[in-house]
Amino acid sequence: MKPVSRFPYRTRLIAGISAAGVLLGSLVGISLAQVPKTQIYDTKTRTWIAYDSRKARKYYAANGQVPEAFRKQVVVFRTAEKPGTIIIDGNQHFLYLVKGAGQAVRYGIGVGRDGFGWAGIVRVGRIAEWPTWTPPAEMVARDPNAVKFAGGMPGGPDNPLGARALYLYEGDQDTIYRIHGTPEPWSIGLNVSSGCIRMNNDDIVDLASQIEVGAKVIVLMQGASLYKGV
Amino acid sequence: MKQRLYRERYLRDGEYVPAKPVKRLRAAVFGRLAALSFLTSIGQAGPASAADLVVAMPNWPSGQVTANIIKTALKKDLSLDVEVREMGTMTAFAGLASGQVDIHPEVWLPNLNSLVTKYADKVQIADIGVSAWQGICTTKQTVKKTGIHGVKDLLDPKKTAAFDTDGDGKGEMWVGAETWSSTAIERIRAKSYGYDKDLQLLQMPEEMGMAAVDAAEATDKPIVFACYSPHVVFKLHDIVKLDEPAYDAAKWHVVLPADDPDWLAKSDAPVAWDRAHFHIAYTKSLATRKPEVTKFLESIDFTPEEITDMSYAVEVDRISPADYAESWVEKNEDRVAKWLKGRGQ
Repeated sequence: MKPVSRFPYRTRLIAGISAAGVLLGSLVGISLAQVPKTQIYDTKTRTWIAYDSRKARKYYAANGQVPEAFRKQVVVFRTAEKPGTIIIDGNQHFLYLVKGAGQAVRYGIGVGRDGFGWAGIVRVGRIAEWPTWTPPAEMVARDPNAVKFAGGMPGGPDNPLGARALYLYEGDQDTIYRIHGTPEPWSIGLNVSSGCIRMNNDDIVDLASQIEVGAKVIVLMQGASLYKGV
Repeated sequence: MKQRLYRERYLRDGEYVPAKPVKRLRAAVFGRLAALSFLTSIGQAGPASAADLVVAMPNWPSGQVTANIIKTALKKDLSLDVEVREMGTMTAFAGLASGQVDIHPEVWLPNLNSLVTKYADKVQIADIGVSAWQGICTTKQTVKKTGIHGVKDLLDPKKTAAFDTDGDGKGEMWVGAETWSSTAIERIRAKSYGYDKDLQLLQMPEEMGMAAVDAAEATDKPIVFACYSPHVVFKLHDIVKLDEPAYDAAKWHVVLPADDPDWLAKSDAPVAWDRAHFHIAYTKSLATRKPEVTKFLESIDFTPEEITDMSYAVEVDRISPADYAESWVEKNEDRVAKWLKGRGQ
């Protein structure tokens, strides 16, 4: 999915503050370098290892699952955020569900080639099972395969939104961003989607089952939140 | 700190009476440091109370716990009926002056100096205070990995590249919430020291800044950020304050955005923040009405660690300020007894 960048809450970035003190505003228009390659955190060696689309496909083909770092796991996560809060780290491709007592469930995520384009504090406004996906108008115009779904692609295993979608709202307004499943599980851990936050279907089902509508979601201002082109 | 550490939000919060979620108010020091020097109107402290004493309760955790410790101890040991009433600092000061409020648990100085001066004939500030500070922090594992110990190390782009998350080769650093005037001062300090050249300064709500520290710690990623103490982050993580040249009033030239559009260019502050401290305040008439209470208040000597514990209990362990106060008084019976006897007893 390529969401139109109209997220209402743009946390401000000060990039290269000049002596003149010009405050650069939102992320839009700020020139940043190329999107970096993914690294995988190896919990055994506590180091980061390069990871890319080729390695991801190869690994998935050989193992039928994503590398250990991106699989669901309970991790030590000390925070003042209350249990039930989601924290998204677009740099390390992790989504944390705070469980309390210094722990969180960590899931691997895929983010957009162009990043999220936003960071901030939002909430889960709605949760949908096997959601319908409606391609944006520009995709319909560009991609003949998308034409047949112009009115909406029914939910199912081939649907780009996967098994569940958490619709992110700011107040009562839909931000158009979602945390959703994917029919491409190998892509977890990469910068390959078009802007939303994707998880593999088992993980999004697991996450959705533990989340209440209204849950707080913190998208950190780092990594994918700062990539250019958004 | 002559500058107004202040934001409109906090002025509003300061006057806001109903209970609000603690998280939003965690902004704590910077908010508390909030500048009541901008005082334009004084609210009423509410209806007269049937209680023996009224303690103002601010909207941040340590102030809430302290208010409740005062209440619990005076009720338990002096059999006084004490009401804790939530109110903003300005309202509380007006109440202290009018006699509707007897005690305020946490008054930040020097930020509220102007208010203290204004009500000097009616409001007494207890002698003993708790010291506070703000500066630039990192985590212990960052120090180990990058060798960054002081603010001067932030001038080395090879070291600060460790804080890069977006692949542009430059590190990023949270300098505070957009709504805090301290954030503008951190930008001034970054420019004055020169580390703004190779670090992208980020401003975002405190919850995002702190969650980034949580995530960095969970994966041993280096991070550097603006910080203040007391704060729960020091209990959640192994935090190190970066060394920097001591505060020097002669080198602290701060012009704030509200005062001049060219504030950043006109400012220069290549030194640490001045230290701050906070005290209990009480209405002067209390000394004659209930001298045993003022003797008690003048003896209370919380440490910064105890203040952090209070915030941690409320914010992380999610214990109500009243419950935490009850158990604190029970566990610290001897200390409370000493306070009741008065200083030097």
